[in-house]
Amino acid sequence: MLEITSTPLVLIAILGTVGILLPIISIARKEQGSNSFYAVIAFAALIVSMGYVGYQFYEENIASSALFSEDVIVDDAFGGFFAIAMLIVAIFTTVGSFNYMRKHNSPAVYYSLILLATIGMVLVAYSTDLIMLFVAWELMSIPTYILVGYMKKNPSSNEAALKYFLFGALSSAIIVYGISISYGLTGSTNIGEVIQGYSTLDPSMLPLALLSVGMFIAGFGFKMGLVPFHQWLPDTYEGAPPTITALLAAATKKAGFAATIRIVVLGMVVLNLDWTLALGIIAVMTMTIGNVAAIMQKNISRMLAYSSIAHAGYILIGLAVAPHSSLGLQGSLYQIMNHAVMKGAAFIAITGIVTTLAVTHIDKLQGLGRRMPITALGLVIALFALAGIPPLSGFWSKLMLFGSALDASSALWWAPWLAIAGVLNSALSLAYYGWITRKMYFEGETEKRVAEPKSIIAVMIFSSIFLIGFGVYPEPLIKFVEFATPVISLGLMP
Amino acid sequence: MTSELVDFTLVSVALLGIGIYGLAVKRNFIRMLFAVEIIINAANLNIVAFGRFLPHSGGQTMALFSIAIAAAEVAVGLSLIIVAYRMYQNVDIADFRSLKG
Repeated sequence: MLEITSTPLVLIAILGTVGILLPIISIARKEQGSNSFYAVIAFAALIVSMGYVGYQFYEENIASSALFSEDVIVDDAFGGFFAIAMLIVAIFTTVGSFNYMRKHNSPAVYYSLILLATIGMVLVAYSTDLIMLFVAWELMSIPTYILVGYMKKNPSSNEAALKYFLFGALSSAIIVYGISISYGLTGSTNIGEVIQGYSTLDPSMLPLALLSVGMFIAGFGFKMGLVPFHQWLPDTYEGAPPTITALLAAATKKAGFAATIRIVVLGMVVLNLDWTLALGIIAVMTMTIGNVAAIMQKNISRMLAYSSIAHAGYILIGLAVAPHSSLGLQGSLYQIMNHAVMKGAAFIAITGIVTTLAVTHIDKLQGLGRRMPITALGLVIALFALAGIPPLSGFWSKLMLFGSALDASSALWWAPWLAIAGVLNSALSLAYYGWITRKMYFEGETEKRVAEPKSIIAVMIFSSIFLIGFGVYPEPLIKFVEFATPVISLGLMP
Repeated sequence: MTSELVDFTLVSVALLGIGIYGLAVKRNFIRMLFAVEIIINAANLNIVAFGRFLPHSGGQTMALFSIAIAAAEVAVGLSLIIVAYRMYQNVDIADFRSLKG
């Protein structure tokens, strides 16, 4: 049984109460405006939640990663790790919305939906039961459908929401079908029992087990933006409000990876099948298609959307080699944490640019380094960290991922090719990140400096300190990643 | 008893096929939403059928959750369609093309 003070329950209590109270307060005050009032409440709730997770880690109340439990949720370091990553992104989104939402109405509902979606994401990472996982998955998805279409008068926001909704609904339908097959085969919805059941399965039923694992990969892959399932992603990221794009790219994508690690990777280990090759091929295709398509884009949101697809490919390298290298999952988790900060910061910088200058076309960004120096610097640091330039934090996580691919080469002959593909793709990605940087700093001539929103500056300063600080001195973060990574090996049974 | 289970599963697989056909062929957003709902209900049928032959009520619980969540999802989807209809006077996804790469 979970204690009443365990992290997931307290997070549900704080975020859920505030999330439900915000619209009620808005009705009681009989007014629509005062965006900053609701933003401050939501921000306070997220900071308190973050503080509680940090306190629990500090007091060492959190067990090391268990992955299996008899309950529906477990209070382990794996969930805590993802909770921290997602709360950082939710805080970025709230702070970034501080200026962005000033021009739009009904802010209370907007912040309330952000908080509710955050509960969903956090619970996906904590859940150890398929029913709980599905409910949390939908709690994460449904608010984000509304948030993407929040600009009701804007046709592209609505179109983005329709596409996102259709693919999201299809992904949850596929996940329910996968759950139904695994429930039929094993008679349980607890992930530990399902995997135990798979390991003692009658060989004639093996194709059905494979089908269910394939359906889980497809269902989660829609949210992660893996390559056969990525068509909705650029349109949605471009059309959605940029603050919500930050939430989608940096947080809901990570929830997909959390669910995949809980189910697919462990199922893969137990079924002892060659899923590794399939995941490896998907990883290489995802990286390559994402980066090649990103080079051709003219809209910065769309370019970063494709770069986000490419990063799903990098993270997938770690999952693919996980059964043969202990570094694999560590690298994936490390990259997940870094990517949450980098992509969150990049999209919040775009929010700042959209709010003050109302441009997203890359040619219009010229001279940004003089017009909005702090935002431009924060964006450049985030972009270089995404590319994996050495003194920044993104370098260490990529190094660990590619190192894990080399580490697994004794068991998998094709694993070094994953590392080669990753390095080539990083070089390719540097081309378009460098292009944006050149536009911002070396083109245009006589732009005057404009006032930058203070909230955006705060996010840029935090992200730059995170990326440079953990880039120069990565040991605390690596220790944390090691603590949060579940230990799996080929002989492991629940 | 086992043959009954096979019947349920066959119906469920048929519904899954109809849903995938609908998603692949139709271009009306409401029809596509129906297709997704058919897939979800195929899965629910599967879960309830399996749950009937197991000594606990986990399957029925799952189906109830899934039905309630599907209802919430449809509510959101239909509200998005209403907003789109006000803008385009149409629910054909071929007409929604303001976003192109």
